[in-house]
Amino acid sequence: MKVLVLNCGSSSIKYQLFDTEKHFVFAKGNVEKIGLKGSFVKHTKDNGDKVQFEGEILDHETGIEYVLGILTSNKHGCIKDLNEIEAVGHRVAHGGETFTQSAYLNDEAIEKIEEIANLAPLHNPANLKGVYAIKNLIPNIDQVAVFDTSFHQTMPNYAYMYGIPYSLYTKYGVRRYGFHGTSHRFVMNRACEITGKNCEDLKIITCHLGNGASLAAIDGGQSVDTSMGFTPVEGLIMGTRTGDLDLGALTFIMQKEEIGLHETNTLINKFSGILGVTGVSSDMRSVEKAAWEEGNQRAQMGLDMYHYRIKKYIGSYAAAMGGLDMIVFTGGVGENGPETREDALKGLEFLGVEIDPDKNNGLRGKEQVISKDNSNVDVLVVPTNEELVIAKDTENIISNK
Amino acid sequence: MAKNSVEPIEEYGLSKKAQPETLFSKIGIVGCGQQGSFIAQIISGAGMDVVFIEVCEEKIQEAYGLIEGYLDAQIARWGMTDSEKKAIIARITGTTDWSALNGCDLVLEAIHAQEREKRVEMRKEIFKKIEEQVPPQTIIASNTTTLAITELSSDLKHQDRCVSIVFFASSSDANMIEVSRGIHTSEDTYQKVRKFATLLDKEFISVEESAGLISVRLTVALVNEACDLFLKGVSSMEDIDRTMTIGLGQRFGPFEIADKIGLDKVIRWMENLYSEFGDLKFKPSPLLRKLVRANFLGRKVGRGFYEYDENGNKVINPSEKIF
Repeated sequence: MKVLVLNCGSSSIKYQLFDTEKHFVFAKGNVEKIGLKGSFVKHTKDNGDKVQFEGEILDHETGIEYVLGILTSNKHGCIKDLNEIEAVGHRVAHGGETFTQSAYLNDEAIEKIEEIANLAPLHNPANLKGVYAIKNLIPNIDQVAVFDTSFHQTMPNYAYMYGIPYSLYTKYGVRRYGFHGTSHRFVMNRACEITGKNCEDLKIITCHLGNGASLAAIDGGQSVDTSMGFTPVEGLIMGTRTGDLDLGALTFIMQKEEIGLHETNTLINKFSGILGVTGVSSDMRSVEKAAWEEGNQRAQMGLDMYHYRIKKYIGSYAAAMGGLDMIVFTGGVGENGPETREDALKGLEFLGVEIDPDKNNGLRGKEQVISKDNSNVDVLVVPTNEELVIAKDTENIISNK
Repeated sequence: MAKNSVEPIEEYGLSKKAQPETLFSKIGIVGCGQQGSFIAQIISGAGMDVVFIEVCEEKIQEAYGLIEGYLDAQIARWGMTDSEKKAIIARITGTTDWSALNGCDLVLEAIHAQEREKRVEMRKEIFKKIEEQVPPQTIIASNTTTLAITELSSDLKHQDRCVSIVFFASSSDANMIEVSRGIHTSEDTYQKVRKFATLLDKEFISVEESAGLISVRLTVALVNEACDLFLKGVSSMEDIDRTMTIGLGQRFGPFEIADKIGLDKVIRWMENLYSEFGDLKFKPSPLLRKLVRANFLGRKVGRGFYEYDENGNKVINPSEKIF
């Protein structure tokens, strides 16, 4: 089945055209700076050729119209007619408690996503713009939404509730939702395929370490806890986000710095994390360079904090599940950072985690088991592929409609 | 080896249907002093291009300095990142060439008239010069609080596109604009300005054409009354301010707000309102006059009701008391 996968942000759109049977990507690309000066479409063909299309792109619908125009063009296209696209799969940030799995987008589902928009005011409305645009441009085509949160809807209530007045949960839905669900689900399944094991028998911790980062505790194939919470700020230290922080410290900072909501939000989302601690960068490679080649001690401390927080979460999730069989690394840092993997797992031998340096060192962006053969816990690197999950989910839902 | 190439996008539209028009992609500002530069960074911050007109190269550089100052203050308060600042500045262009207003969707007059007698004439002149550069659908607005848009636009060919849009510059997070229409302002213009407010993420406050609108009238009344309290020895400046901040939950007390706005400006507002309404309550307090005569104009010169250090922070224990 030919599925177009769309990930619409506030001023950008990522797209991929998939053949789900052959796992083949006909073309992919991104639309950038929608509604801003200097907007463009960066398009990559299946042979690797890249074309950049420049010109005014005022809104999401125009952006998607150009993408469809490019895909069907004689010069750069890969399909003859729009009808060849059988379905469109959308990444949607927040499914609230309504969506426990990917969903067929009929009017009712769209309405429900609109209702949830207050939980993700920056993301859901942008995701929906893509849905509306496709409705206008290819009427009657089947559309599916795949949610970042739905994989974690299996968490038990004692894991997702916060220690706040219950009325705040019933009034506003304040609870842990977790994110990166599509990625956690994909790498869990893939890791089981690689090792030939059945996820239903396993206790797995998946580590999605990118610019945003989260861990998930997966017991018998179901997410039972995850480090991101009501928003993506909670949990691990990230590129520019704080991760876990004493709320008392935050109200103290707000009072001392005399800042309001907007400034506080920027402080914890854009000025903090690895960038805020090291003062070097939010990019791990730059921080590693500063620490190891330039002897920058604050950079080293930032790395130590980053690794320590991951280790702490792994320990607590092993305790939460009462055991551990497998750890999977993914995301930019997880896939390309052998030192991060090594340092975060150092000292976890008592849990049966033993990395094989020969397999881990130098491994970047490739699927591989990196634990020793006799390690009780399998450790793997699995590059994530959220687009593939979206395409596959879309195919499943359409076929079983 | 994979190839890379660049092409224009226009040929790849599916239909030849008209592109949706952006109502506001480029905004002109005439006069980029304290007010103008404040407004420029707000508008650019919302993703629109800004072109501002100043009288000479020196003033243009001054305006850039002011804009950077506003943005740096937001960065210092964790409200903005360095890269956001760069993007905002990159969207702002200063020039002495009026033809740069061509292509603007809205042009805002934000000049600072030194001589009170000429303030109406000068602005009318500017309105005419703007009209020469822009098509009839471009909105022409004034940021003046005490002059009537009906009067300022009286010499124009297309008066229906004129409106008054006031940014209250007490702080960047004053999230509102006051909009008033003149006799000739069309409904279309008015509705477009509503959209403009939404794009800026500002609350739209609708006001009838009346000198001082809401913000200025209430501010001057508050400052005058605070001066009177102080002059009659009812309480100290600090305690009067504290009553408003702690007691009534305002961000700033009346003396602090006056220093922030600039005492010369506060006096100008009062004089304009006094001449418009003839009501004694708008007559500037003698205390204000005294300070302005001494050139204690507020935070911008380091001294007004209070003393300020070079960063604009209030000096808690000033070495010498003003009063």
